[in-house]
Amino acid sequence: MTRAPVSRRGWIAVVSWLVALAAGAVVIAHTRFSADLSAFLPAAPDARQRALVEQLKSGVAARTLLIGIRGGDATQRAAASRALAERLRADPAFEQVLNGDFTAFAAVGRWVFDHRYQLSPAVDARRFGAEGLREAIDDTLSLLGTPAGAVIKPLLERDPTGEAQRIAESAVPSGGPQAQDGIWVSRDGQRALLMAHSHAEGGDLDAQAHAIAVIGDAFSAVAASGLELQLSGAPKFAVDSRAQIQSETRTLAIAGTALMGSLLLIAFASLPALAAAMLPVATGIVAGVAAVSLVFGGVHGATLGFGTTLIGEAVDYAIYYLIQARGSTVPGQGWRRWVQDGWPTVRLGLLTSVCGFLALAFSGFPGLAQLGVFSIAGLVAAALTTRYLLPVWLPDGTRGMGLRRQLGHGAALIMRTLPRLRHGLTALGVAALLLLLWRHDTLWQTELSSLSPVSAEALALDAQLRDELLAGDERTMVAVTGSDAQAVLQTVEAVGQRLDALVQSGQLAGYDAISRWVPSLATQQRRRAALPDAATLQGNLAQATAGGPLNANRLGPFVQDVQRAREAPAITPASVAGSPVATIAAALLVRGTDGSSTALLPVVRAPGPAGEGAQAAIEQALRGIDAAQVFNVGEELRRLYRHYIGEAQGQALLGALGVVLLMALWLRSWPRLLAVCKPLLLAVLLTMAGFAALGVPLGILHLVGLLLVVAVGSNYSLFLDWLRHQERSDEDTLASLLLANVTIVLSFGLIAASAIPALSAIGLVVAPGALLALLLSAAYAAPSSTRSAARSP
Amino acid sequence: MHPPDRRQVCVAALALAVAAPAAAAFGFDELMAVLAQRQSGEAKFAEQRFVSVLDQPLNYTGTLSFKAPDRLVRTTLTPRQESFVVEGNQITLQRGERVRHLALDSMPELAALVAALRGTLSGDGSTLRHYFKPTVDGAAARWTLKLVPLDFRLLGVVRSVRIDGFQADVRMVELELADGDRSVTMIEPIAPSRARSATP
Repeated sequence: MTRAPVSRRGWIAVVSWLVALAAGAVVIAHTRFSADLSAFLPAAPDARQRALVEQLKSGVAARTLLIGIRGGDATQRAAASRALAERLRADPAFEQVLNGDFTAFAAVGRWVFDHRYQLSPAVDARRFGAEGLREAIDDTLSLLGTPAGAVIKPLLERDPTGEAQRIAESAVPSGGPQAQDGIWVSRDGQRALLMAHSHAEGGDLDAQAHAIAVIGDAFSAVAASGLELQLSGAPKFAVDSRAQIQSETRTLAIAGTALMGSLLLIAFASLPALAAAMLPVATGIVAGVAAVSLVFGGVHGATLGFGTTLIGEAVDYAIYYLIQARGSTVPGQGWRRWVQDGWPTVRLGLLTSVCGFLALAFSGFPGLAQLGVFSIAGLVAAALTTRYLLPVWLPDGTRGMGLRRQLGHGAALIMRTLPRLRHGLTALGVAALLLLLWRHDTLWQTELSSLSPVSAEALALDAQLRDELLAGDERTMVAVTGSDAQAVLQTVEAVGQRLDALVQSGQLAGYDAISRWVPSLATQQRRRAALPDAATLQGNLAQATAGGPLNANRLGPFVQDVQRAREAPAITPASVAGSPVATIAAALLVRGTDGSSTALLPVVRAPGPAGEGAQAAIEQALRGIDAAQVFNVGEELRRLYRHYIGEAQGQALLGALGVVLLMALWLRSWPRLLAVCKPLLLAVLLTMAGFAALGVPLGILHLVGLLLVVAVGSNYSLFLDWLRHQERSDEDTLASLLLANVTIVLSFGLIAASAIPALSAIGLVVAPGALLALLLSAAYAAPSSTRSAARSP
Repeated sequence: MHPPDRRQVCVAALALAVAAPAAAAFGFDELMAVLAQRQSGEAKFAEQRFVSVLDQPLNYTGTLSFKAPDRLVRTTLTPRQESFVVEGNQITLQRGERVRHLALDSMPELAALVAALRGTLSGDGSTLRHYFKPTVDGAAARWTLKLVPLDFRLLGVVRSVRIDGFQADVRMVELELADGDRSVTMIEPIAPSRARSATP
């Protein structure tokens, strides 16, 4: 077979393709690929949720690793805990390592002690009068002669009123981890516990992976044999997920390509045809990545993984072309016939798909929005490659025969048989609809974690460690947001006073607040005003200690420290930045990108029944402080997820409406529109009903899958509709539909087996959905079963 | 050491010594068996603390109450009202208006001391042996239990605890701290049956 010389049009197509590909490659070369889970955290709508999501992404929790040491005996575990903590503290990857050994926190202690007259909640005018001093000194002395006295005694001359003690009392949560031999251990005593905060942001996964590796290396260097390291926390999840996503998508891409490749090879029995079929897909991926990079400034690893599967639809385009362009009477002119007959339908199918994915592009989840953009760009590029490039290369489609004839026969058989089942299928559709209506309240997932690739086992370990280290419930928070940092600090102080009452009554075990470390300027001013000058203080002290056990003459250092505090510069959010409490302060006061400040007050409930209803009690207590809001992180995430699944449902419906509208405009006939839409609707209903019948709730990614079913299915149903109105049965077209369907069903079947829940969700929906879409399109396509049978060759 | 209520103690001691049967070979296990008979009790206490940096000892008085297995309440009445309640792993401290709730096991030194008191009051030998090396002197009628911490960390704070008693009554607790400070608490039961005999 001689090849027709490439026309001028052909050259233009090839050159534009090469230029576009090169441009895409340049963009991709400059693309930042990220892999944290933040893409599946929504861009939150209000300030409070933004603060929450900000915390989840880059807050202290996002860079806290929880460490457990098991096995061996208590002495070995304690020794390992100390040695590990010592090594990690020396490593620049970590900002702070906690293991219950507070000798390592001398710096924080010193800072607090040096600033005690600015920080202590007990400082007021009365405190430094004769009576107040007497009471305060009595309180302090009451700890002497007890084990606690060992800490107090060396500081007595500088801090006889016990301000450091007061600050420590309020700052140390009452239900801390259990200490044994000076280190934290689990309540059952079988596990030594540590917490490590990395320097790097939670989102910097390379740094987090490094931190995790450092812990592993340090542990194996110091631990006695028989000890086992357990690691958990957000960074660990993120790093593991990235590794899993990377390896899974790689495996799936290789397996999928191999599977699709061998299928096409068997079907076409031609290597050039196989290469041609892959060309639009490859071009689509390049275009997709480049487009996402341009729109979002970076590409999430998951987008790449999921997106590549979504544009699996692109291989259909090539299949349609390669088969349908065959059989031209004039060699080299097959593509002309296809451009006339097949392309308009492919183009319409493309438009409907774009319509569907457009809905995703506007999603509040950055991950889904990226998927939308990726798919649109990828499909458009793949379709254009098919339309303009393949005709240059293979003007008459594929030459090989392969299984084409068998496929055609098979398709014809389906076309003959299925319409007879039409009534049964309609009844099945109605039953599916009834099932869905009956199960409507349990149909959708409400947990954000359904998107997370973290295994149940890892979550259980995390819950255990968290329970021990953070007293179980660090997930209730009060958030105070405002444009002015000082106003926020003042509100936090007001909130703190009300929470104090709940701590007193035993409903809360404690809480933390930025105002403990950075009091508002007004409060600091008030405290400073309460500090008397040296002469007055000495007079008051003489009175307060008269006849008592403590001699005022010893308290010179106290008088000096008070005088120094009168001169001390104020503590501000900016001034603590370089101090030992910088980490603590940064977790409690978050500066938004818009210049606003959000203070977070993590609340620890009292253990047992006393803590039940704590959230309601807090809400009650905070009534009237409008800037403060109570929320439970878990509940808030669920609420956010419900909001987004609602939004996604709306967008999916809009997308579906757009698809119908497009088809209506194209077909310009109500009966034809109905005939095209009916199988798609039934396919979606039956797929959803299948999930409902199995009791699997649907999540956002199932919804994405359904969109894809509509997008792919619309091609089938439009082609079959077109065939019907051609008044002929074209076995080539039928063969191409069947082949396209088999590739989709098999490749998504592969994805369904993925261990990443999000990926397998898409696969589980698309594989059966696409199959149903083809079968149902076939069932409803022919005018009627008898006439169709009569017409078949 | 001359605690103010020494005379009262002597009276009570006499009364008890008469009532007590003579016992041979009185050791730790025998003491625990005697102590385990008592399920609850109330007492007055007077504590004196001798602290190196102070010119005079610190004096505290108040009441103690114990209910097996693990509820211990110390209410200080002078010089200022204050209470310390420990039940299970939960500690509640109250001083004036301020209340604090703490987990006992997050403070090992305190946990050991509470174990010394609760273990002695309830006759729980295994708890005492978990934290201390116990030695017993005397007889059931009048005994002395000496507890030396096993843990070197605890030993860095508390040198020893000495507990004196008559039968199932604890009458004195002396705490010797590592830095040489001392606390001596005289205890006088006010359980209904003995309240009269103990009051002059």
